[in-house]
Amino acid sequence: MTQRPHILRCLGLLVLACLTLVSYSDFSASSVHASSLPRVTLNAESIGPRPIEHRTGETVTRDYAQAWQDLAESLDANRTDLLDDYFTGEARSRLTQRISEQQKIGLRTRYVDHGHQVKAVFYSPDGGEMQLEDQAQIEVQVLDGQNTIHITNSSHKYLVLMTPGADRWYVRSLEPVPDDAF
Amino acid sequence: MKRTIQLGQDLPILGSDVVASGPYHAIACDSKGCTSTAFQVLPSSPARLSFLVHPSRVPVSAANAINATALVFDRFHNTVLAPTTVEFHFSSEGATAYTRSLTTLRGIAWLRVGSTSKQGPLRVVASVGETAEPRVIQQVASEACGLRMQAISLPRSVTLQTDPIRDCSGNPLPDGTVVSFTKIDDAGRSTVDIPIKKGVATTQFSVSGRARISLACGVVLGNEISIGGPRR
Repeated sequence: MTQRPHILRCLGLLVLACLTLVSYSDFSASSVHASSLPRVTLNAESIGPRPIEHRTGETVTRDYAQAWQDLAESLDANRTDLLDDYFTGEARSRLTQRISEQQKIGLRTRYVDHGHQVKAVFYSPDGGEMQLEDQAQIEVQVLDGQNTIHITNSSHKYLVLMTPGADRWYVRSLEPVPDDAF
Repeated sequence: MKRTIQLGQDLPILGSDVVASGPYHAIACDSKGCTSTAFQVLPSSPARLSFLVHPSRVPVSAANAINATALVFDRFHNTVLAPTTVEFHFSSEGATAYTRSLTTLRGIAWLRVGSTSKQGPLRVVASVGETAEPRVIQQVASEACGLRMQAISLPRSVTLQTDPIRDCSGNPLPDGTVVSFTKIDDAGRSTVDIPIKKGVATTQFSVSGRARISLACGVVLGNEISIGGPRR
């Protein structure tokens, strides 16, 4: 008897419906939830050394949600072009590589995103980098052709580095980390 | 990756197949279904630095004007989460070199320092073990200090020339820095902007009656000269 083992990176996911800004009550907490976007709640109470501006908090929250939507679609459809809008640097390279590997062996990954509790922990004095801790609830389905061969529905932690571009914040690094990382 | 295996055999996983740190799932499938197990790949030792220094030009003697941020990665570009000591070494000509050691938090170490009193390049090197990343910041003269001009009166005009223009630490302001001369006389008010050339700024005004001429460079005001009679 033969077995076919698959080794897969356990990244995130999502799925939801219409773009609606839920609340931007203050600088320390904002969230975005749209029918088509994953729910992202940003808490910046402990950010440093630079405080986060209200508008920046809104933008980071929205762009991070957009990035997760694109990530989910790109891994489900095995399309690297969907990563162009919100990913850059190492994050984009790794996801591109992962999609390439999925294509090669006939796999797809489907993420059902149940939301992200994001804590902004570092914002450089010059405003050039922001580090986030993301605790995400994600259902991950691995499909081999039309067959679902693996499903997990659990909490995942990510360490995220975002950097500003001309009109948006980009995800530069998105690393899954152990449960005890933060 | 996907492989066909025989039961009962070891399944070696090459390091090159799991260069990204984080959780992995190994899924084994046969005709009856699939089963899986998870394992964690941790970052390796520090081997790379991403080092950002801002700004690239800074006035001399400016407190906390320089921000340096170092991000520590392993050789596969995974963030090193374990606390790591990063050394920041600062050196410039004519100033005492110094080093600051900081421990990373979530892979990041940062600090803010002031510029020295002498203009010229400030070399900043961040290092972890054998890995070092150098950056250079240009320290430039600050605002003018003790801004003064001299006047040579001619029958219908006056020639004005500043003393050598320096900041309060004695650094000459760079050529091209604009100096503004303003004349107020019976013909009205007239301002001319002159770039510093060879350390000084020179201009000439025609004068109608009594005139008052002032000097400014950036936010700094210089002396004022009255020409053609007592000041009203």
